[in-house]
Amino acid sequence: MSTISTALRDFKEPTKEQITQNFFSLASIPAAIGKDAREADDEVEKMDINAVLSLGVEGEEDSYAGKLYLMAPYLAFSSLDKKSVRFTIPLSTIRRVERLNARAGIYALSLALWHGGKIIVQLTSLRPTADLFCALLRDALKIELQRGRMKSVKGFVKTCYSEVLVSGSAFTPSDEKDEHSASEASESSYHGGLGLRFKFPGDPKKLREASKIKLWMTYLKTHGRNLTLLRYPQCTRLVQVGLPNRLRGEMWETLSGSIFLRYSNPGLYEQLLEQNTGRTTTSTEDIEKDLHRSLPEYAGYQSEEGISALRRVLQAYSFKNPELGYCQAMNILAAAILIYMSEEQAFWLLEVLCDRLLPGYYAPSMHGTLLDQRVFESLVQRCLPIIHDHFQAVDVQLSVASLPWFLSLYINSMPMIFAFRIVDCFFCMGPKVLFQVGLAILKINGEKLLQIQDDGGFLNLMRDYFASLGDSAHPHSTDPRARAITRFQELLLVSFREFSVITDDLILSERKRFRNEIIHSIETFSKRSAVRNLRSLGRFTKDQAGLVYDALYQAMCVIPPPPAQLPPPTLLNDGVEEKPETRIQLKTFQYFLSEIATWARDEKIVSNGFQQRVDRDVAEHEFIDRLFFFWDTSCCGALSFQDLVAGLDGVMFNDLMENIEWFFNLHDKNKDGFLTKDEVLTVSESFLFIFRFEVGDAYLGAVSRFMTNAFEYGDALLADVNQRKESEDDETEPRSPLPLPSNQPYLNLATFRMVVLADEILESFFETDLSASFRLDPISELELPPSSSGLLGEFWSTIATDSNKKMFNLFTDEIGKTIGKHQVIHRPSIGRYKTLEEPKARESLLTPGMRHSVSKSSLRSSPSSSSLRPSSPSQGLTVKVPSSKDFQEPASAVGYSPMVQAANAALLARPAFTIDDSKDDDDDAEDELEAGDNDDQVMDEVDAFLEAHDSGLTDADKEVAKDLINAEPVK
Amino acid sequence: MADAASGSTDKSVQVKLVLLGEAAVGKSSVVLRFVSDEFQANKEPTIGAAFLTQKCRLEDRVLRYEIWDTAGQERFHSLAPMYYRNAQAAVVVYDITKASSLDKAKSWVKELQRQANPNIVIALAGNKLDLVQPSILQSGTPSSESEDEADDATATPGETPSSPGESDGLRQVPRDEAQAYATEAGLLFFETSAKTGEGIVDIFTEIAKKIPIEHILAAGGGVRRPGAPGGRSGNAQEGAVNLEENANKPKDACNC
Repeated sequence: MSTISTALRDFKEPTKEQITQNFFSLASIPAAIGKDAREADDEVEKMDINAVLSLGVEGEEDSYAGKLYLMAPYLAFSSLDKKSVRFTIPLSTIRRVERLNARAGIYALSLALWHGGKIIVQLTSLRPTADLFCALLRDALKIELQRGRMKSVKGFVKTCYSEVLVSGSAFTPSDEKDEHSASEASESSYHGGLGLRFKFPGDPKKLREASKIKLWMTYLKTHGRNLTLLRYPQCTRLVQVGLPNRLRGEMWETLSGSIFLRYSNPGLYEQLLEQNTGRTTTSTEDIEKDLHRSLPEYAGYQSEEGISALRRVLQAYSFKNPELGYCQAMNILAAAILIYMSEEQAFWLLEVLCDRLLPGYYAPSMHGTLLDQRVFESLVQRCLPIIHDHFQAVDVQLSVASLPWFLSLYINSMPMIFAFRIVDCFFCMGPKVLFQVGLAILKINGEKLLQIQDDGGFLNLMRDYFASLGDSAHPHSTDPRARAITRFQELLLVSFREFSVITDDLILSERKRFRNEIIHSIETFSKRSAVRNLRSLGRFTKDQAGLVYDALYQAMCVIPPPPAQLPPPTLLNDGVEEKPETRIQLKTFQYFLSEIATWARDEKIVSNGFQQRVDRDVAEHEFIDRLFFFWDTSCCGALSFQDLVAGLDGVMFNDLMENIEWFFNLHDKNKDGFLTKDEVLTVSESFLFIFRFEVGDAYLGAVSRFMTNAFEYGDALLADVNQRKESEDDETEPRSPLPLPSNQPYLNLATFRMVVLADEILESFFETDLSASFRLDPISELELPPSSSGLLGEFWSTIATDSNKKMFNLFTDEIGKTIGKHQVIHRPSIGRYKTLEEPKARESLLTPGMRHSVSKSSLRSSPSSSSLRPSSPSQGLTVKVPSSKDFQEPASAVGYSPMVQAANAALLARPAFTIDDSKDDDDDAEDELEAGDNDDQVMDEVDAFLEAHDSGLTDADKEVAKDLINAEPVK
Repeated sequence: MADAASGSTDKSVQVKLVLLGEAAVGKSSVVLRFVSDEFQANKEPTIGAAFLTQKCRLEDRVLRYEIWDTAGQERFHSLAPMYYRNAQAAVVVYDITKASSLDKAKSWVKELQRQANPNIVIALAGNKLDLVQPSILQSGTPSSESEDEADDATATPGETPSSPGESDGLRQVPRDEAQAYATEAGLLFFETSAKTGEGIVDIFTEIAKKIPIEHILAAGGGVRRPGAPGGRSGNAQEGAVNLEENANKPKDACNC
């Protein structure tokens, strides 16, 4: 009924390198869609080096110590505090690099950038390091030059409004009143949003657009712009007072780094749309439903122009990332950013949002949303414990209000002009802003929040608060300046001043902490709904069906089914579209079955003197394939969860007669109620497969008797028929009768039953053992790996990989062999006669066998006795099977003698020690212990964080905050 | 009627109600019709859930519905428990012109019956009745943005009638079938149109009647269950049991 996704299992914590790249707003994976060969990137090493950055303009900015990163094709810098100064610039915008003549011992480079600015970096590391860095930089620059990237800069920057702004101001100094004159001249060349046509939200006078533009113009002139923006403290300050509408779109893409994606993938957006013209998917259908409900009050979305832009952007994204597709709330984001950006700009910003800034928020499981809600809750608990406790006491769930805050970046929670200012800060300072603002909202409303009694009250309070954001925060203050501060300003102030402890690092580590909890709850939830949505549970309880689900899930983790789960073309079923359903292929099924059926796995108990373990392999056999197709009732070559449940239901609850019939039907390929001779042989092969690890010869004997009897009875019946039909055939020997083709109906169910019941062992197999060989046990591996974090965690996780474990096992095995303690035993699948042979102490090797021979008469059927031909019809059938030893041709040994050998080996090896099942788990237990330690460490680490940030950073933040107040009313 | 409740007539009884159903079946429109007797062509999609309140009078008692209107898109499913926990009532909406939406509704009912408050009153509502009623106004202009056709802005374009005469052919879920399912599962059942308003108020009236208010009123001891069952057949949409009392009051709608 539904899809089952194991995608969450694939999550990997970001590496240090990825975190750095994220910090510098670079896509962690070089856009895989890039068609041009990207191998070049790998040739250049990444490197970072200590450096002091100075702006090439005298007296403009202080110098800052920090780190310079070469991450081709980008060069990036961050000041030591990671917030004051930073830049990320494409190497292709560097026009010239010069080594400066300076005092001895000082190694400085001057970089001339595209926009005409100059920066000076003083490499403060040791000389050889600096030399290496320069060499790498030179190589990287050369590659960019060869790829012709240097030339593309000029064309690209033309699409940026900032260029118009900076150059336009030269001839229209009266820009202050009305910027229209400047922009209209070159309207066509630079990218802009719907706002240019349909007006931007808010009153430009009140927003002080003109003065903001002026301030930015000054800043952009000296500090670079678009691709080469250098972010000094003033930049952040300017962002915090709100971006001017005309520049907003470009600044968003510059600050978020989406500009680099647009720069390095020219034309991709158009291509995507072109390649997918006319294509409809579930995503495009969902998008269509929401187009008219995305910021409907904005004029641009009351016109076809706005609607179709929105459609194209959302569709293009869903084509680019079909796994994510489209999630409600993305329409609101896209609609919002399209007011300020062109379609292409919006497309790439959406990419950055979904991929990097809001990871997993819009994924089908929405795990990112759930995770960040959990993180937010824990931050509330930590920062605002009283509110948290009150919410607990009155059973109010924070998420009912905060979920849409995060999911749509406050855009549909507060008036747009305010939400966009939060979005400004969000792109500039990162995802932590969402948390800081959320906490500040709660803190400001603290007293009222303590009065609320239920979810509804909470929502109403929040709604009223958001509606009043434009009001004065201190309406009764005597100081007019205090009165002028709006509630929104107060909100930002509290966000950044009081919650500066919330850093991106903290959020990363909190996410790490709660990730498993969230994944677990999502998986539990989908398991519950998968079980609930089964059309039929059969005779299973819900818990048992849950165990089937676990086995399926485990199998899917190990052998994922093919990704394309699109339902078959929905041409005919109008309206009644099939929901995509997860179905597994044969390979996954084999694994699944190995989790459940004892005979569908090869289990070797290995002991080497150091350890004892069970090596489990997935068995492959025609029998399992047969089962797969037997259960595939809808004949689509793949099994759904429902098929598996129904299939298992068909065998696990059977009594003797039902089991015999089940087994018969399983082998009756054409369902005509008869087994052919070939199929009889297949039945015995199936038996041999199931019994392959049984101790002793009892089962082999049983199978050989089955063969004898089957052919005896079968021929007898056949002879009857033949005699009646054709009496002239009398002279033919009844034993090797007519050349009956091996694919003719031969044995019916009644006869088959007779044959089976003639044998005690087979009878007991069908009575209980067959059903019992399917076992629904909790699967231990399903447990998530411990949330390893901290140094030790990482250390351990690098050691405890599967391959390392294998290596270790191999190693100990080798030692075991040399000291003669290495032993391998196959664990029997049925194990009925195990108890008989379970030696109390060491017994003579022959004991088990001897006992066996006493209790069962089967030992007489020596290994060679039942010659089993693989069902190749050409060889003709020999029916006098049991009579002779003269049949020892090699061909007959196929599939048989290995088993005998195995059985013998097992017999011999068996008494050497007793199997101690409980021991197997020791390793896991140790793992878990380790995990416990790690968890503590996480806490320590987080605590350390908090302290470190409480001190030291507040001053700087205060300054920012102070500037924030002062900055807005100026001029 | 019952004197135990007399003290609480001015104090309204809060009923938490949640709306569930496939995307674009018209959940939000049903609520909007109920809360402010409006029909809006373009409603913003619900992110997470919208919260609205509406007071209504049932005989001598005032009920205050706290309505949680949830997002319909499949991926928001895992958030739903947050909204239906502690709910005393649920309206599961499907689209009578879309058979698959009834399947989804059934799965919601199953989930509610297993996971939600055990005493929850569930109503099944087949929405978009206006689309299948032979009407003079049904003019199938495929280009128009479906605002005039469907009772919900979110109607998929493919569902607009191809020709006016065939309007009844749009129905994919026969009334009897849904009714039979509802009876079997113990649900209240309605066919509604948020666009015309048909059947909307009835849902909330019948829920109000069925809700064990005495459970909610912790104090109220022996309050008799109000209203006789089965009295709804005569209700015209407009004259429903004085539920329209505060249509003139300020709307409580919100979108946060």
